[in-house]
Formats: sequence, structure tokens, C-alpha cells
Amino acid sequence: MRVLLALALLGLGGLLGLGIAGLWPRPEPQDPEPVARAWGVANAVAAVVLGVRLWDTLFEVLVYVVAMVGVRFFLGGLRWRGELPPVAETPLLRRSADLLLGPILVFALYVAASGHLGPGGGFPAGALLGSALLLLALAKGVERLSQELYEPRLESLEYLAVALLLFLGAVVLIFLVRAPAAFIAANLLIALEVAIGAWAVLHRFASARGEV
Amino acid sequence: MESLSALALAVALALLGLWVLVGRRNLVWKLLGLNVASGGSILFLVALSHRPGARPPILGLGPGPAADALPQALVLTAIVIHFATLALALALVILLTERRHTQDSRKLEEEG
Repeated sequence: MRVLLALALLGLGGLLGLGIAGLWPRPEPQDPEPVARAWGVANAVAAVVLGVRLWDTLFEVLVYVVAMVGVRFFLGGLRWRGELPPVAETPLLRRSADLLLGPILVFALYVAASGHLGPGGGFPAGALLGSALLLLALAKGVERLSQELYEPRLESLEYLAVALLLFLGAVVLIFLVRAPAAFIAANLLIALEVAIGAWAVLHRFASARGEV
Repeated sequence: MESLSALALAVALALLGLWVLVGRRNLVWKLLGLNVASGGSILFLVALSHRPGARPPILGLGPGPAADALPQALVLTAIVIHFATLALALALVILLTERRHTQDSRKLEEEG
């Protein structure tokens, strides 16, 4: 069994090596500038993600939401008996969280709002917001933070963001809107949705920690 | 071709991850292997989109050829889907461990 596995992996590696060595024909990459110009944005990747391949992005967001709903569903039923192991709290972490939280939030908003002009976009901004929440959770403790961030309200906010995103996508697809404003709005909505999903995952995994 | 080393690293990562994914019996190890293989495939796509001397695919960054924007957009999707499916798989592993008290895939198969 192991030998077969090794042979299969070697064969796969050989195929990939052949591809890398240029023995397979590779299409010449197209110049992305006309695409970006046609959609009225500077970042060609944003033009592809939210313009040419908008369907892909919409369904990707749906897959993300379904996965987050699955995490909530599967981990929501678990209740741990006994004490949860404490999370270490240090003044160093609290102080650095105080210092870093504002810049991280502002930078995340900047990345989301300028995703059509330069590197950035909704998904990196959502990841930044999620890491800001992680920092806050590490500094204050997950339980305290989850009391302050009321999760059902966040959840409905996430679904509202997804619904607005789908509506925006429908408007762009039906009326062929090609404006930077649509990109900014879509990036902000995606950032909100990704951040809330990341917080839900973090919260669930952190509150389901402990021994099985 | 300056992206050759990145491509070789990507293939090595993908093979390592696949080896762990198939060879190990612990479910968490399998997910780790899947994670590494996914990282390798993401690196592969990014390295493929690169051309020698290419600049980022953003308007107004000077002359010269731009890197292909399509693989980068694909990778953006892949990273998020990767994160979401990994979280879902870990939640399922937690649930399985709670119910069956094992993470050994062979034991799980034998018990049915």
C-alpha cells in the first residue's frame, strides 16, 4: 500500500515536473490592462474577482456562509462539563492590544475601501478584521468578548451582508453596472461578512476547548 | 525563469501534504496534510501567474508586462474556501472525537 502510494506521488510529481519544465504548451498570459480599463478600476485582480468572474465570487461567498453555518451547527450542540482551562492573560498583551487595535481596524477599512485601486479587497480586509478580533479575544478573554459582541445580532448582520451582496451582484449582472462605487460597496460587504464568519469560528472553537 | 524555484517548492509542498494526507491515520494529521497540500497548490498558481520581470497587475505601475491577473483572482477564492472548509472539517473532527472517542481513521472504519 505504501509502495503504491509512493509510486503514485512520484508519478504526480513527475507530471508536474514535466509541466514546469515547459514541455507542455502553456498559454501566453493575457495583458490584464484592458480588463481593468473596461471595468473602470486600477486593480486588474479586483476587476476579475468582482467583475468578469462575479458569479464565482458570489458562489464562493455562499460556500463560505454555508461552511460557517455548518461550524455553528456542529459545535453549537457541544457543551463542556467542568471548568474550561483558563486563557493566559498578561499586561503586555493587553497593552499591545490597546495600541494595535485602532491601527489594525483603520488599515482593514482602508484595504477594503481601496481594493479597486491597489492591492487589497474584501477578503484580506475581512482577515485583518478577524485577526483584530483574535487579538482582542487574547487580551480580554474570549468569554468576556463574546458577552460584549452579542452573537445572534452579529449573525443576522452577516446574513444581511450576504443578502445585500447578492442583491448588489444581481444589480451589477442585470444592469451591467461598471462603476467603482459597486466595487467599494462589494468589498466592504465581503469584509464584514468574512470578519463575522471568522469571529464565529474563533468563538466556537475557543468555547469548545477542553478535554474530550 | 525566476519562478522555477517557487514552482519546485510548491510541488514539494503539495507532495508532502498528499503523503501525510494518505499515509497518516490520525484525522488531525490528515487535515494538517491537506492544509500543506493546499498551500502548495496556492503557491503553484501564484508562481504560474508570474512572468520574468513582471509587475503587479495594477494600472499605472510603469511599463513592462503585468503578471496574469486570473490565477491571482483564483487564489483569492481558493484561500477563503480553504479556510472555510478547514474550519468545517475541524468542527466535524471535534464532533467525531466527542462521539466515538478516537481520531484513528482505520479504527473508525472498522467499527463502522
